Amino acid sequence: MNDIVSLNLEDQIGLLEKKEISSYELTSLYLENIKENKDLNCFISLNENALEQAKVIDNLKDRQSPVQGIPIAHKDIFCVKGHKTTCGSKMLENFISPYSSTVFEKLDNSKTIMLGKTNMDEFAMGSSNETSFFGKVKNPINPLKSPGGSSGGSAAAVKANLCAFATGTDTGGSIRQPASFCGITGIKPTYGRVSRWGMIAFASSLDQAGIFAKSALDSAIALEIISGFDEKDSTSINSKVPNLKEETISNMEHSIGVPMEIIEKIEDVNVKNNFLESIKILEKNGFKTKQIELPFLDYSLPSYYVIAPAECSANLSRYDGIKFGYRCDNPRDLEDLYVRTRSEGFGEEVKKRILIGTYCLSAGYFNAYYLKAQKIRAMITESFKNAFKNVSVIAMPTCSNGAFELGSIQDPVKMYEQDIYTIPANLAGLPAISIPSGYTEEMPLGLQFIGNHLEEGKILNISHQFQKLTDHHV
Amino acid sequence: MKISEDTLKNISLLSKLEIEKSMKEKISKELESILLMVDQMNEVDTENVKPMSHPLSKAQNLREDLVSEDIERDEYIKNAPQSDDGYYLSPKVIDQK
Repeated sequence: MNDIVSLNLEDQIGLLEKKEISSYELTSLYLENIKENKDLNCFISLNENALEQAKVIDNLKDRQSPVQGIPIAHKDIFCVKGHKTTCGSKMLENFISPYSSTVFEKLDNSKTIMLGKTNMDEFAMGSSNETSFFGKVKNPINPLKSPGGSSGGSAAAVKANLCAFATGTDTGGSIRQPASFCGITGIKPTYGRVSRWGMIAFASSLDQAGIFAKSALDSAIALEIISGFDEKDSTSINSKVPNLKEETISNMEHSIGVPMEIIEKIEDVNVKNNFLESIKILEKNGFKTKQIELPFLDYSLPSYYVIAPAECSANLSRYDGIKFGYRCDNPRDLEDLYVRTRSEGFGEEVKKRILIGTYCLSAGYFNAYYLKAQKIRAMITESFKNAFKNVSVIAMPTCSNGAFELGSIQDPVKMYEQDIYTIPANLAGLPAISIPSGYTEEMPLGLQFIGNHLEEGKILNISHQFQKLTDHHV
Repeated sequence: MKISEDTLKNISLLSKLEIEKSMKEKISKELESILLMVDQMNEVDTENVKPMSHPLSKAQNLREDLVSEDIERDEYIKNAPQSDDGYYLSPKVIDQK
């Protein structure tokens, strides 16, 4: 059984096409595996109709999409009509989506089977999956370790063969860091490439949906499906989606930018050596590399921790206990209802970020914090623009460490530093991918490629070429 | 940046959040450490830089304000903690005195 669920997406599609396996059988195998791995706590809810839906799809006359009949998982941040969407929060514990997200709809129209909805840090705020109201997710490689966050449930589910691929969201690294921790491939496309309609908002100018899969090629197939213009999202990019699978396997030449100044400052020797080895592998195989400078990148983290909380404090003002979500018991009056609903419904990390955001936006502090952060954001974006004049992709580690032990990071700033290498791509709205590149103390490490605006094909291509040269992803 | 008791009180008031007494010191300390990290921004000269509010510089897409799908009121209202005959219920806000 493990053989089939551990196959990559391409091979599973092959089996379905040749009718060597039915979607019903494949779905059953995954559901069984989910049951056996309940301890990992990857799922917040399961789709009770999965098998029934698979049967219907098996009865279709022809194949209407490459992923027809493939069982997948959705991060519990994507609304699915008629299903619970909790966003990992007590606030939305009993929320039933009255409409579906575009990401879900596109995959549903492509006849995938939703197995269930995956666990995540509350409102996608966290880098360890420990802030979820529904308990932490365990890393399938070592259950004492964190799977990363915020999309930790999706990453762990793909690693543990509980789904063929999974959706996730990435505001500051929430796809790439868990992909790195779990030893799988995770891609965050260009801001605006994938519709945010029906995806619960954290920081709207940074949030972007993406994919977790076993390889760059698998990610390309899935990402192409969820990409594209959507008039329901006013920040959706109206630009043709290329054939990402074709671009991924094509013979592209690359000039890889390496920001040596940043690499030299990496403290963890294993992380640094692993990165340099990965670059060596690429060079040995004929890829050109070029040293680049990315000034102001050190200021990504401070700038992000103004912008993201500021947008979060505005977005999360909608949770007022009136129209949907949690409401406190026996409110004295409206003010008491608001305050107690929010104080009881939100977890500690979410409250902290609302407070920070409110502080930075409050009278007298707006210019010093919010405006300043936006100016630094502009400078970081400009430095990427300059770098891409000379290189096709930029390589960096995904994270400054491997997966840490659950419960071991208590200092919030230490936790935020998990995202120092992933945040820059969010600030600039650029596509970025993390692929497995080796190990440190038996836990995986990730290699990150950042691409220019709308050039997902290039980072998928270089990742695919790297995966042809190495076997860290298998 | 020191987060005084008054500042914490003010931002929790604005956020409609109540910080438990036992948590106040911990939260203040954590907010201070986050702001200390954020204050690194001051090392950067941002004179004459245009602030960037969004990764896409173009204007937002607008669409015609047309009915695009049937929205079933009852489906939406079902999520309300308290409702009555299609209305959301909240505590009384009009003073009758």
